[in-house]
Amino acid sequence: MPQLDTSTWLVTILAMILTLFILIQLKFHKYSYPLSPAPKTFKSTSFPTPWETKWTKIYSPLLLPQQ
Amino acid sequence: MNENLFSSFITPTMMGLPIVILIIMFPTLLFPIPTRLINNRLVSAQQWLAQLILKQMMMMHSPKGRTWALMLISLIMFIGSTNLLGLLPHSFTPTTQLSMNLGMAIPLWAGAVITGFRYKTKASLAHFLPQGTPVPLIPMLVIIETISLFIQPMALAVRLTANITAGHLLMHLIGGAALALISISPTTALITFIILILLTILEFAVALIQAYVFTLLVSLYLHDNT
Repeated sequence: MPQLDTSTWLVTILAMILTLFILIQLKFHKYSYPLSPAPKTFKSTSFPTPWETKWTKIYSPLLLPQQ
Repeated sequence: MNENLFSSFITPTMMGLPIVILIIMFPTLLFPIPTRLINNRLVSAQQWLAQLILKQMMMMHSPKGRTWALMLISLIMFIGSTNLLGLLPHSFTPTTQLSMNLGMAIPLWAGAVITGFRYKTKASLAHFLPQGTPVPLIPMLVIIETISLFIQPMALAVRLTANITAGHLLMHLIGGAALALISISPTTALITFIILILLTILEFAVALIQAYVFTLLVSLYLHDNT
């Protein structure tokens, strides 16, 4: 049975170790499974000062007291 | 007849150069690396398949066992692709070589067992004695469990070798018989040809199943030890 001819065993085993443990793993290492993109909610941590909580019409640039 | 039948299992060398190295490395060419967010069909299909297999296989493992995910997915893809490529006519199947299968089975099994001994020594040793054995049977049962532990890598290797070799041999024999029967009795040749087709379908299934069984058993040994 040619499988029992041990003269070729070293080459076969070395080639297999190279392929299985290095080459193929390099290929599958690059597979990435990103989650579906979803918008990120953000909360601003700075609270507006009391006179800025509501935007009122007086803040529009043309209505400010002219300098 | 003897020499001719087994000639497809001789490790291929061309003018003294071991081209078996190239043959073993060839399946890696069939798995391109994904370079984009959305890839082409081949890469997407392979990624989908890998995800399917990974989810199925790694579900039963602890986080420690899941560190083996890359190894197991590489193993099943390597063995599956090698076996399927071996079904092409006149090709050489590396998994028919006992050397390669031993080289795969022993390190993986030893890795799983040694991991178990390092991190869960008592639980690993407890595997040698099933629960609820009557006291007089303990020595014999420890011996039997030790033997069954050490036979695991041998069984892994020999199972894969024998299954693939036997399938290839059968296809050679029945194909040869069908060819020889054409000139003698075409009806029998047709029946033999139908048997050959059925056998080929079986061999496709065996190719995939053997890859799966190998990986599943390694995964099981891992589960026992993590």
